[in-house]
Amino acid sequence: MPDSQHDTPQQDASRPAVLVSGLHKTVRVGFRARRLEILKGVDFHVEHGDVFGLLGPNGAGKTTSVKVILGLMRPTSGTASMGVAGLERVGYLPENPYFYDYLSGREFLGFCARLFALEAGERRERVEGLLGDVGLVDAGDVHLRKYSKGMLQRIGIAQALVNDPELVLLDEPMTGLDPVGRVEVKRIIQSLHERGKTVLFNSHILSDVHELCSRIAIMREGRVAWQGTVPEAMVDSPTLEDFFMKVVTA
Amino acid sequence: MNQLIAITVNTFKETIRDRVLAVIVVFALIMIAAGLWLGSISLGEQGRMMTDFGLVAVTGFGLIVAVFVAAGLVRKEVEKRTVYVLFSKPVSRVAFISGKFVGLCGTMAVVLAGMGLFLFALVWVVSGHPSGMVLLAVVMIYVQLLAIMAVTIFFSTLGSAILASVLGICVFVAGQLSHNVLALTRLGKNPLTEALSWVVYVTVPNLSAVDVKAGVVGEQTLAWGQIGLWTAYLAAYVVVVLALAALIFRRKEF
Repeated sequence: MPDSQHDTPQQDASRPAVLVSGLHKTVRVGFRARRLEILKGVDFHVEHGDVFGLLGPNGAGKTTSVKVILGLMRPTSGTASMGVAGLERVGYLPENPYFYDYLSGREFLGFCARLFALEAGERRERVEGLLGDVGLVDAGDVHLRKYSKGMLQRIGIAQALVNDPELVLLDEPMTGLDPVGRVEVKRIIQSLHERGKTVLFNSHILSDVHELCSRIAIMREGRVAWQGTVPEAMVDSPTLEDFFMKVVTA
Repeated sequence: MNQLIAITVNTFKETIRDRVLAVIVVFALIMIAAGLWLGSISLGEQGRMMTDFGLVAVTGFGLIVAVFVAAGLVRKEVEKRTVYVLFSKPVSRVAFISGKFVGLCGTMAVVLAGMGLFLFALVWVVSGHPSGMVLLAVVMIYVQLLAIMAVTIFFSTLGSAILASVLGICVFVAGQLSHNVLALTRLGKNPLTEALSWVVYVTVPNLSAVDVKAGVVGEQTLAWGQIGLWTAYLAAYVVVVLALAALIFRRKEF
């Protein structure tokens, strides 16, 4: 596998920010290496500037799809590409993130910024700005092992934004957050949208999806069962929850 | 290059801040100091006994740090899923493996410098004169342990941390003995055992070639030209092993 599985084209408005086409992923599990097909032909695309919600029950293939898009996993067949200039322009928050607990929040963000080859001055400025954005200025010098789950989630979002990405992939960004934390994360996503960034996020919290997303895709058993805009989803359903249940139980 | 430096610095912080490492170093210093007692019960050989015992302690505790820390470096990143954060950024697998190794080299340098200087001071106190050879012997222990760290990191890309640790220790033992075993099997004239010991001799790093402990305590004359060549060989060995580790790691999915 090459170090970076994606081409590094310059951003191209004619190319979607994310294009997933006929994506299949089979893994081998257990002692007898039984074949398990996780993705069975996933197709969806995310336009530049969209806030896109990837929804679905547990095990539907949302996280695997995101990992293939990022190159953390190889597709068995099909393609996943990003319409931005390589991983330099992408931010990612993994699900249930775990970070280096021997580093302080400030050191961790500095480390992430250094991976993007930011100059020392810019690095310091970016780190302090992000600590402020996620409300962790006072906890900046505390080791991550002492952070609560919500604080880890917030530092996770900060590290995903450290390179000022054009495309942000957030896997369950609201998990573990209290209502205040959720409001802050929603504010961050809205601010990214206002600045023209593309956001793709997985979530089980449909009220947040309704509030934030311009387009959604609902996955079921390794396929995209439905995709479109939120108003389209709610034509015949009073709430997004009702529509979601119809799609996943159909 | 920035990625390599970032991972190196991060690995150094990770390992140097590990409390287990501090415990091992304190215990190692106690063991080295115990050489004072061992020297006191030897007849007129206090300085030599102290040096010999101290260098064995430095090697043993250095090996523990090298093997157990190196085995966990890559596995921990995979098991705790911090690789998601790293490889979703423009970080190559080569920079990752190299950074891990170089960072651990820094930690090992600090650990061995601490133990080596402590031993140097004790030998000075006991014998009444400073012995630069003690420090040179510690440098050569460092060279040996670099090879073991690289081998252990390689094994950790293939299997569990425990397996990598055990194999790392096996390679250390084999590396100390392979030269002598080859010489002995040549005397035996059995082509099968000779071929087997030749394979081991070629595959594992020849650590005994840079082991200068016997020379430091005066049991052997040291040929520094040859030791220099063997050090260059070990450096090349480290590069090859790390390249193989990076190659295997490139194929991994997370």
